[in-house]
Amino acid sequence: MCPAGNPMTQLLVLLLLAVPVLAATVCAAIPVRSVRTAVVLATGLVLAAASVGLLFVGRGTVSPPPIGNVSVDSLVTVGDFALLAIMFGYAIALRSVIVGLLVVLQAAPLAWFEFSVLDHTTEIPAFAIDNLAIVMVLVVSVIGSLVIAFALPYMDEHEKHLHVTRSRQPRFFFFMTIFLGAMNGLVLSNNLLFLYFFFEVTTFCSFMLIGHDGTRPARESAHRALWMNSVGGVAFVAGIFGTYGVARTLDLKEILSHGAGGALLIPIAALCFAGFTKAAQVPMQSWLLGAMVAPTPVSALLHSSTMVKAGVYLVLRLAPVYAGTALGSAIAMCGGFTFLAAAALAVGQSNGKKILAYSTISNLGLIMACAGLATPLSLTAATLLIVFHAVSKGLLFLTVGTIEQQIGSRDIEDMWGLYQRLPVTTSIAIIGIVSMMAPPFGVLLSKWVAIESASGVPIVVVMLALGSALSVLVYTRWAGMLLAMPSLSHPAVPERLPWLMKAALFSMAGAAIALPASLPLILSRVVNPLFAATTHLQDLGVSFVHGHGSAVAFLPFYAIIGIGVLVTNAMSRAAKRVRFTSPYMSGVPGDFQATSFIGPMNERVPVVARNYYLSPIFSEGKLTPWVNAGAIMLLIVAAVGAVR
Amino acid sequence: MSSAIVRAVLSTAVALFVAPLAIALLTGVDRRVTARLQSRRGPPLLQPMYDVVKLLAKEPTVSNRAQIFAAWTYALAAAASVVLFCLGADLLLVFFVQATGAVFLVVGAMSVPSPFSQIGAQRELLQILAYEPLLILVFVGMYMVTGSFDVSAIAAYPKPMLLELPLLYLVLGFALTIKLRKSPFDFSASHHGHQELVKGVLTEYSGPFLALTEIAHWYETALVLAICAIFWAPSVWIAALLVAVTYAAEILIDNATARVTWRWMFKYTFPLGLVMSAANLAWLYVR
Repeated sequence: MCPAGNPMTQLLVLLLLAVPVLAATVCAAIPVRSVRTAVVLATGLVLAAASVGLLFVGRGTVSPPPIGNVSVDSLVTVGDFALLAIMFGYAIALRSVIVGLLVVLQAAPLAWFEFSVLDHTTEIPAFAIDNLAIVMVLVVSVIGSLVIAFALPYMDEHEKHLHVTRSRQPRFFFFMTIFLGAMNGLVLSNNLLFLYFFFEVTTFCSFMLIGHDGTRPARESAHRALWMNSVGGVAFVAGIFGTYGVARTLDLKEILSHGAGGALLIPIAALCFAGFTKAAQVPMQSWLLGAMVAPTPVSALLHSSTMVKAGVYLVLRLAPVYAGTALGSAIAMCGGFTFLAAAALAVGQSNGKKILAYSTISNLGLIMACAGLATPLSLTAATLLIVFHAVSKGLLFLTVGTIEQQIGSRDIEDMWGLYQRLPVTTSIAIIGIVSMMAPPFGVLLSKWVAIESASGVPIVVVMLALGSALSVLVYTRWAGMLLAMPSLSHPAVPERLPWLMKAALFSMAGAAIALPASLPLILSRVVNPLFAATTHLQDLGVSFVHGHGSAVAFLPFYAIIGIGVLVTNAMSRAAKRVRFTSPYMSGVPGDFQATSFIGPMNERVPVVARNYYLSPIFSEGKLTPWVNAGAIMLLIVAAVGAVR
Repeated sequence: MSSAIVRAVLSTAVALFVAPLAIALLTGVDRRVTARLQSRRGPPLLQPMYDVVKLLAKEPTVSNRAQIFAAWTYALAAAASVVLFCLGADLLLVFFVQATGAVFLVVGAMSVPSPFSQIGAQRELLQILAYEPLLILVFVGMYMVTGSFDVSAIAAYPKPMLLELPLLYLVLGFALTIKLRKSPFDFSASHHGHQELVKGVLTEYSGPFLALTEIAHWYETALVLAICAIFWAPSVWIAALLVAVTYAAEILIDNATARVTWRWMFKYTFPLGLVMSAANLAWLYVR
């Protein structure tokens, strides 16, 4: 392959990186709603098309030609320092010593490294495209674009609700689109310095987006996100330094080809720690929980296709170096612990967004655990989970946002009986929930592969078994709340959603339903070649019916739910087939809707039943200190594992 | 090739028809034995089947549509899990399919605003939370012994697994008791009209839909007992004896213990099950 890469691939990479920047500039420069809508939608389409194009034509490396006579490497260096300078400016504005300190701790070593350590004469391919990068680009570009499209009508409503006098949407969409470009850059980077640059851009974008509303909680959460991720940034710089010291190169492909173990482990551990902070693994979970103060599309973006996925991507990418080492086992332990701890913390929550946030942290922990185990099967599970989790979680956040705009609450207790008020949104929410926990949907399938791949490591598998059951509890409870039907009447006002919201929700729900059916194809064409996992489902130890791991095997599971839906519709359509009656109240129901019964003295006694949140065990306040303490101990173990 | 198809068809038929009827009969025996233990005569052996036939003939009555969906998916998923087991599928898959059904039963109960049904549903969720991890760990133990999650491969293991997984078999017993909603773990569906929850999670299912949940429960019981049986796969007779002894123990425990609260379950029985599983797994790992 020629050093510049094949022209088609080069063009696609250029589109994936430059179009978001261009779109962001237009969004910021022309504060006109129709222009913004057109630009954002066009960007989404181009990104989606380019990512699909990359899937079919693009493999290999790409080195962008110099612009004028300035090399792209120097541009990135300038960008690094400019970004750090801006962050330092924010540190001063926020009077934040910690952010200032962390920025200096990145800038100073980086400057030393760039100007006196790094040998600038060796050429490194800037970008490398392999199947993992392509999977990530698809997740970022397709799901990310859907989220941004959803954000267009959402932000109008959001600003109306906040009584914003001067729209801040140009700024909002500037950072949202830049975010996608940075994520694409991050996953395509082959030069560690490029990777670091994009890593920092995502940190900065998330800081700006979390603080978007400018309220006090928003500013505080943004600050927390900035300093916690800057800790990751410092670790990243240390990792670059160490990696170069050992391997004498920043070429990621070359570093990974060194094989497992050796002196590289220590700097790689630092890079993995950077990934851990970005993926909000315990004890660094609080920044992601705080991030939910942002407008919901931001959460949807951070939790599904960007930001946290950058963290797991980084760790997964580095797997060849730590595979089979003590560091790998430690990463698996930390990930498994996060999976369990975050699932437990979710049990005590009734705030819908917080439940989703903990569930994200939990699933990221599972991805980390799989990455740490670093067998072909576990790496397959990690990759699948990145994809399927992005679809389901993006969908769930968007539905919670939609629900919140319509009922004014994100508490799941307030969503009781929502199906009758908002049948469309609620149906989609239920699809999202079911896609998180039932076969044949992707998250469960990945979880299944994960448990099988962890089976040789008892301590990890115990944590996975417990965490998995806890998340089933959380999601079932929520589905039950949504599906409750206190009356038979139809909603007085039919549900109305802007078409863009509907389009985004329907596409994502469609993807959640249809993607698992293409799993055999995804495995054989995309994931298997990546991890030298040779073959099909059954050889992965994942046969549905012994020896029949084909697409056909999925049909029964679709059939179970499908038949359920069909029978329900058939029976309730024909009024003669089934009689509707009021529930049993152990007394005379007060009304047909049975929200009350006739008590003593002929008085109506309202009926109230609430979820169990098991607060004696699972309350956030009680559990968090223990979780953090456990996580810190595990991180120490991990550090020791790297040094040893 | 054709013999494989014939075998698959036969297995499916056994799973769909023989398994639930056998369990119905077993339930009949259970009721008789329990009655004798309580100095009553007890119903005819076929009473559980008569009950279901009668329920199926009743007018279908529900509070809302979600219940229809819940009852059907519960029954379909439970039946599918037994079929998959008999076809020799992956144990975890069998389990997840079964779990999906169990979860829909709860969703259906939650969809009705009756407090009995609501609280029953919450308690059923806690029961699921208690037995799910235990069952997964039992399967992991089987994997560590046999090197496979496939029922067909596990059943072909030449030695009895019980000898290597004694603690996990007891854990499976826990899970079975919780799954059967037998005392002391029957707090999600206490059976007597005058008691706190009427019939808990099942309160709002009636007529044919209640029959569906009953049939689903037969399938579920068949599945757990089948899992008990593969602990002694080499000999069908010893496996049958093992299942018989286990079920007899269940009946005895059911009659000898009082209902515990969910708090008690999480404080005492659940950690005990977890420690026993971990000990057994650790032993396999170190060995």
